[in-house]
Amino acid sequence: MRNLRADGGPGGLSRSTVARSVAIPVVLIAALLVLGEKLSVNNMLTLEEVLGLAVFAAATNLLLGYGGLVSFGQAAFYGSGAYLIGLSWLHHWMPFWAAFVLTPVAGGVIALLMGLIALRTRRLYFALLTLAFSELFYQLVNVRYSFTKGATGIFSVSMVPASLSMPRTGYYFTVGITCASLLVLWKITVSPFGLMLRATRENRERVEALGVSVYRHQLLAFVISGAFCSLAGALFVVYGQSTYPDLLNWTTSGEPLFMAVIGGMFSFLGPAFGALLYQVGNQYISQHTHDWQLVLGAVLLVVVLFRPDGLAGVLSVRTWRRMWARRGGRRVTPVDGGPPADPAPATAFEATEGAQQ
Amino acid sequence: MHAFVVDLVSTLSTAGYLFIVSAGLTLVFGAMRVINLAHGSFYMYGAFLVSTIVGASSGARFWLAIPAAAVAVGALGALVEVTVMRRLYRSEHLTQLLATFALLLIFADVGLRIWGTRARTVGNPTPFGGRITLAGATFPSYDIAIIAVAAVVGLALWVMLTRTVFGWKVRAVVSDPEALATTGTNTNLLLTSVFVLGAALAAVAGGVIAPQTSVAPGIDQAIIVTAFIVAVIGGLGSVAGAVLGSVLIAAAETLGARYAPNWASTLIYAVLIVVLAVRPWGLLGAAER
Repeated sequence: MRNLRADGGPGGLSRSTVARSVAIPVVLIAALLVLGEKLSVNNMLTLEEVLGLAVFAAATNLLLGYGGLVSFGQAAFYGSGAYLIGLSWLHHWMPFWAAFVLTPVAGGVIALLMGLIALRTRRLYFALLTLAFSELFYQLVNVRYSFTKGATGIFSVSMVPASLSMPRTGYYFTVGITCASLLVLWKITVSPFGLMLRATRENRERVEALGVSVYRHQLLAFVISGAFCSLAGALFVVYGQSTYPDLLNWTTSGEPLFMAVIGGMFSFLGPAFGALLYQVGNQYISQHTHDWQLVLGAVLLVVVLFRPDGLAGVLSVRTWRRMWARRGGRRVTPVDGGPPADPAPATAFEATEGAQQ
Repeated sequence: MHAFVVDLVSTLSTAGYLFIVSAGLTLVFGAMRVINLAHGSFYMYGAFLVSTIVGASSGARFWLAIPAAAVAVGALGALVEVTVMRRLYRSEHLTQLLATFALLLIFADVGLRIWGTRARTVGNPTPFGGRITLAGATFPSYDIAIIAVAAVVGLALWVMLTRTVFGWKVRAVVSDPEALATTGTNTNLLLTSVFVLGAALAAVAGGVIAPQTSVAPGIDQAIIVTAFIVAVIGGLGSVAGAVLGSVLIAAAETLGARYAPNWASTLIYAVLIVVLAVRPWGLLGAAER
């Protein structure tokens, strides 16, 4: 266990981390509450969308950064969360609040069924199989027009209660759900289960040799991730008051991966900040040009090729120490000729994938 | 009887273009173990280039436009291989998927800049303008042309991979690039050529299907998923698997459209899920550790 913490992986348990684990949430929550009073309605709505996406990205990163699992099917959970609320409204199944509470349950059940099959495969095949599952949902929703309104989607202000469709209450509600979700996810990542999940990423064979079922750990992670992605989809409805098939398309599955990688998948809050950068960048660039995808693609390419640890890696204390050491200062961490932009977790992650040859 | 012939021809012509596009994908994967999402962009560029060259009235120029598009997209492939793909060969699948996804996004926007958002149609090329009747069944004669092109491509690939030195080297470079390099082979050049070939095949597929579909932005993202399914069902890296996968998926699409039109579009995903649940490495693929 010591090694797991010492290698700079996400969320260790040292004393400074405990201090940070109290200070950071308190500061962030306070900042979000203050922003609710200060921001203009437009900016507040942007932030509200970012918060939902932050849950989406952080839940996806439980698989990506912690479990080493690249799922291209996250849209299936996100979209089914949104559609559960949309369809309950359309067919008068149940009131909004009942549907909202049920979204994580539905996401978890879908993830369980998907994971039972998909986790039998590994790496690339896992990515493609999860993609196939989410495309299956996408096509189903597109085709069953009488049931889902097909490609048109479901749009209505009355889909969410009147209290929530007011910008400020909607914002505070989203802040509450987001903070609670992130705290629970963070607790999971530092729990014994979270540490074991990280161990399965680092060395699958050794974990199996310990008599631990990798499959069960990955399945549980998949279910948790599915539940929170579905909740994020429900938050999208609170913000957007609509649901449409593109929420289930495979390109939607790419978005939380982009956010996680750009923000930093080896840090717990990295994906959340990735969501902020992604959405603000999207809005700003789309206002001025038609080249949002071009910019996103270029940024993503640079990050993936040169900074696989993302923004959080660039900003981390370790990186600055190392740069300082290279300038001629005292050597704090060994700089043993390794590639400069390659932190320990990234190499360890690659080590488990080395068998690809 | 004639319903059967119509279904058969329709299945084979769909299988034909699916085979060409997924053969390129599987060839690249077989040689360098990289899955290339930007393959969809090459396909789209091929279709757009052909539509630009021939315009709406296709004529005989079509048969010159296809090789021209293949060469142009092949050159783009060479550029992509040298600048990006070469860095990905030894990296993990996440890096490969996201880097090629990034390329897909970049090419999509560049494509919008060049060709705009308007959907284009391409007429059937000269000798295949009409319909023909065979065994009491009538179908577009262009279907036969697609089947013929796919057969030629498949045969050429088979000869190339099994009967030429180049093909032996392509198979050798997967198992042991260092050993191959010590025999005096320029492995970098070899991998670039394979990638160029894959890109050109995507362009050929895009060009060949252009008369049967509307050429518009978004076909890159649509085809890549289908091409993956075909390649994965057959077994990634296996060209014979791509033949099998394309016929299976084409049959599922054709028969689904006839007997269960509401479910046709979901059927191919169900096929993939069932195949991978039973054989996680595809029908003709070799299990990876």
